[in-house]
Amino acid sequence: MIPRLLDVAGTGFRAPIRRLVAGLALEGALVGLGFVLLMPFLEALLAGDASAALRWWAALAGVFALYVLLRWRTQMMGYLAAVALARVLFDRLGRHVAQLPIGWFTETRAGELAVLSGQGVTEIMSLPAHLLRPLIVAFVTPVPVLIAMAVVDWRLALSVAVAVPLGMLAYLWSGALVSRSDGRVHAAAVEATARIVEFAQAQTVLRAHGREVAAAHDLDAALVEQRAAGQAQIAMVAKGLLAFVVVVQAALTLLLVVGVNRALGGAVDVPVLAALLVLGLRSAEPLIAAADLQGAMRIADETLRRMQTLLETPPLPEPSDPTVPQGTALSFEDVSFGYETAPVLHDVSFAARENGLTVIVGPSGAGKSTILRLIPRFHDVTGGRITLGGVDLRDIGTEALLTQVSMVFQDVYLFDGTIAENVRLAQPEASDDALHEACRTARLGSMLDRLPDGLETQVGEGGARLSGGERQRISIARALLKDAPIILLDEALAAIDAEDDRNLRAAMRALTADRTVIAVTHRLLAAETADHVVFLDAGRTTEQGTHAELMAKNGSYAHFVRLERQGAIG
Amino acid sequence: MSGAARPPSAMRRLTAEVRPTLILACAIQGVGAVAGIVPFVAVVELAGLLLGDGPADQAIRWAWIAGGALAVRLFCLIASGALSHRADADLQLSIRRQIAAHLSRVPLSWFSRRNAGALKKTLLDDVAALHDVVGHAYTATVSAIVLPVAALAYLAWRDLVLVPASLFPVVVGMALYAMQFRGYGEKMQAYETALAQIGAAAVEYVQGIAVVKTFSGTGRAFSRFTRRAEAFLEMFWNWISGLLSYAAAADIVLSPLTAVLIASGLGLSMAEAGWITTVDALALIVLAPALTAPFLALSFAQHGVMQARKAADRIVEVLDAPVLTRPDAPRVPTGNRIVFESVHAAYDDDRKVLSEIDLALEPGTTTALIGPSGSGKSTLAKLLPRFMDPVAGQITLGGVPLPEIAPETLYARVGYVFQDVRLLRASVRDNIALGAREADLDTVMGAARTACIHDRITALPRGYDTVIGEDVTLSGGEAQRVTIARALLADPPVLVLDEALAFADADTSQALRNALAAWSGRRTLLIVAHDLATVRHADQICALDEGRIVERGSHDALIRQGGLYARLWRAGERAA
Repeated sequence: MIPRLLDVAGTGFRAPIRRLVAGLALEGALVGLGFVLLMPFLEALLAGDASAALRWWAALAGVFALYVLLRWRTQMMGYLAAVALARVLFDRLGRHVAQLPIGWFTETRAGELAVLSGQGVTEIMSLPAHLLRPLIVAFVTPVPVLIAMAVVDWRLALSVAVAVPLGMLAYLWSGALVSRSDGRVHAAAVEATARIVEFAQAQTVLRAHGREVAAAHDLDAALVEQRAAGQAQIAMVAKGLLAFVVVVQAALTLLLVVGVNRALGGAVDVPVLAALLVLGLRSAEPLIAAADLQGAMRIADETLRRMQTLLETPPLPEPSDPTVPQGTALSFEDVSFGYETAPVLHDVSFAARENGLTVIVGPSGAGKSTILRLIPRFHDVTGGRITLGGVDLRDIGTEALLTQVSMVFQDVYLFDGTIAENVRLAQPEASDDALHEACRTARLGSMLDRLPDGLETQVGEGGARLSGGERQRISIARALLKDAPIILLDEALAAIDAEDDRNLRAAMRALTADRTVIAVTHRLLAAETADHVVFLDAGRTTEQGTHAELMAKNGSYAHFVRLERQGAIG
Repeated sequence: MSGAARPPSAMRRLTAEVRPTLILACAIQGVGAVAGIVPFVAVVELAGLLLGDGPADQAIRWAWIAGGALAVRLFCLIASGALSHRADADLQLSIRRQIAAHLSRVPLSWFSRRNAGALKKTLLDDVAALHDVVGHAYTATVSAIVLPVAALAYLAWRDLVLVPASLFPVVVGMALYAMQFRGYGEKMQAYETALAQIGAAAVEYVQGIAVVKTFSGTGRAFSRFTRRAEAFLEMFWNWISGLLSYAAAADIVLSPLTAVLIASGLGLSMAEAGWITTVDALALIVLAPALTAPFLALSFAQHGVMQARKAADRIVEVLDAPVLTRPDAPRVPTGNRIVFESVHAAYDDDRKVLSEIDLALEPGTTTALIGPSGSGKSTLAKLLPRFMDPVAGQITLGGVPLPEIAPETLYARVGYVFQDVRLLRASVRDNIALGAREADLDTVMGAARTACIHDRITALPRGYDTVIGEDVTLSGGEAQRVTIARALLADPPVLVLDEALAFADADTSQALRNALAAWSGRRTLLIVAHDLATVRHADQICALDEGRIVERGSHDALIRQGGLYARLWRAGERAA
């Protein structure tokens, strides 16, 4: 647990954590020492020697004063360490995530990351802030007590000492038991989550077809399994807890019986025995309480483990010596690519001329969007290579590559902020004039006039308060402001009505003029005017050339185009 | 601390069903707490016996009593924990089922106001957060009360003067705790808010990562995220640093070492003064820590209890969300004529979306809704399957107002295909046959063929048995064709189509064309259209603007009229 904590927090964090652990151990030792002093005190008290008792009490008060000072320090240290730890974790998480390939971010992972960076970080913070203390103090306090016992009567000490390794074993065993059931609990929670999200999102469908009850069945099964997994885990916890507490209490009982026997035999003085028994009981209490902490410790440890896994996910490889591309011509050379296991692209080759328009056409599911996603290195190719200005993308460096590329995608993502903030994302230092110019060119004028706050209108989370066409034009304004030489367009013209459509076309013309453009479109709007058409079918480039050439060839592209034209209903 | 003993109403209401089990668990815990005091008492009695040269067999008996009490306590600890955790597991399942059942009764518009993430949080995380109270807090509270009371009772039995002496640290410690938890509620709220903002920032960071990376580079990519994180830490530190001294002081006052120090000092002086015997002093020293220790445990649990209460509030909020009214005596519509009678619709924030809608959908006719974005055409379509109910006016189906029709009857008659396609994680066949479970495979395949998706399905690894979302993920167009096949198979007399042409590729357009041909003239269709080409042949076209129907009529009539429709039509023609 502590090594994992040190690993996750990074090297700079070792010293404060070590200091904290040392401070807490010392605190535990002082508590133990205080208890030990109780022994001569009680001996004197019960023997009626008041002045000796007072002297021992003064010593106890001295230890107490030290304890108070140290306790105060460790409290501060713990929380300071927690805050510093959180800062390091946030920073490491944020930085690392920024370096991961964009393709890594699935919806599930986004959710996990959100949990990890909110709740997760606080769970880890609780380790130095308040979980380590009771645990360390509980395990260190009995040490001076045991030593004192050994000095007084080694047989008594031995009867207790037997419990130490057994207790340790029981503690570790119970932890192991519970971790073993963690897998099932986690899997059950994941399945239940998925079923709930599905159940909520599919309500429209479920109700439309009157199958509310039947569809709830899968969800119910997932919930029942979740309970079963939870109960199995509780059984494990109970087993482990039982073993640990039995060991501690057996040691206490042994101490009591052996102690009384030895006192009766005259081997131990009665006041000393009374003191020893008190000490034994006192140091056992925190140990039993510590067993209860195991759950919280396990949660923190599990979070640490997930954090560790995330931080160890390999980032997108960056070149040590980046090459600067010459020009903006893009070329795919025998590119193959697949998500996880499923292959999507096979030996895709084509060249996109500098400042030309290249259109990728093909049936849905052919892999068109994937081609676009490979250009800004959302994923790296699994075979072949992609070059920009003659340089392999992987040799350019992501930062430099991304300054060259703007994307206008179907699912426009807007940040919860104002329209101005969203457009300025491309270039925070852009002047107001440049901002207005970009918005005007993107045909945002009428929309901004309609909105009471104009450019300062809040877009709502994910741009929820704007229409599809409006969101798209904001993303075009963003791309205009960025003014990158390469533009990637993905089905950017779907899902809008006629008026939006007209505005969008105008905005798009402004954006694509004199730039290298690669576009994916179902509507073939640009195919006739494109410099180059690439026909993609099932992940392979089956035909390419100009629209006229491909039509003349009368192959699969021509067939596809004829089908599309029929498709224009009415 | 009183909070754990008296949970507020949301918690009380949720836990009502497991109360008997919890009471039993608490009773057992109480017995265990008393048994926990016995060994300490035994030590005192032992010392008294041995020092007074009492009979040896009695001394040994006390040792065994102590051992026995330890065993009893162990049993109680496990039994009470098992019971309370069992109650917790049962309760979690029950609440989750209640929520799921409730979800299928709320208006569909309820879902659009909540993202799936928030719902997931309530159903899983919030319900799990009750664990701290149900599994631990009740029994811990019983321990915290019974243990000191039992210890005090023994001390009082020995000598009444021991009672005030032993209470001293408890009083001081409690006062310090009270100071520490002053204003805890609001601070906790601020803490949770700051924490939620980090989560939201992380989600935003991840969802927008493509945009952020391409538009502002990796260097600045996470500044929003770190700013939120920094704000959280600042808030946390401001809050906690003010409390740390109180917390440390309270912890110190209530620590066993303090109790021992004070008790031994008092014991020594009182024995010296002759008020009590030295064995009484020993009793005081031995039992004093038993009075303060439970408070430490309770304060430790306090955070969890606070969170559980908040969670209970959120759960109750979901459970109390108003459901769509179900008629007590459902009426069966005669025929399928649909009439909107001066219908007004508004969202919760009183934003008006539709005003004065009067519209009749004659059986077997096609009605198209057109208009600029934000004109209310989608909302109008959603009133029919009762995504929401109108705030004024009414909609009737076969002469019966929609709220008086049983939902099953309504949904059997009114089907819809929306742009927002949802497939279930089930086999392709089950997904298509959702509305017609009794359909055999041939019928399902027939619908799939009409919807131009049959060939794609047979190419899937397990054909019609392929599980969507597990074996395969379908593209947007493919998913749309599956939903078209589903609607074809269910074949309700009234069908609502919204934006069904967006995203459409050639195959999907073909599928929709086939479906429209199958339905046209036979079924009542209400189409929300973006592509005006689709609606040209509709029997009736309604143009909406700012929530009102501004024009209605056939294509030719509206073109002649030269209004909004004509303008949009010309814009569309120019573009094409």
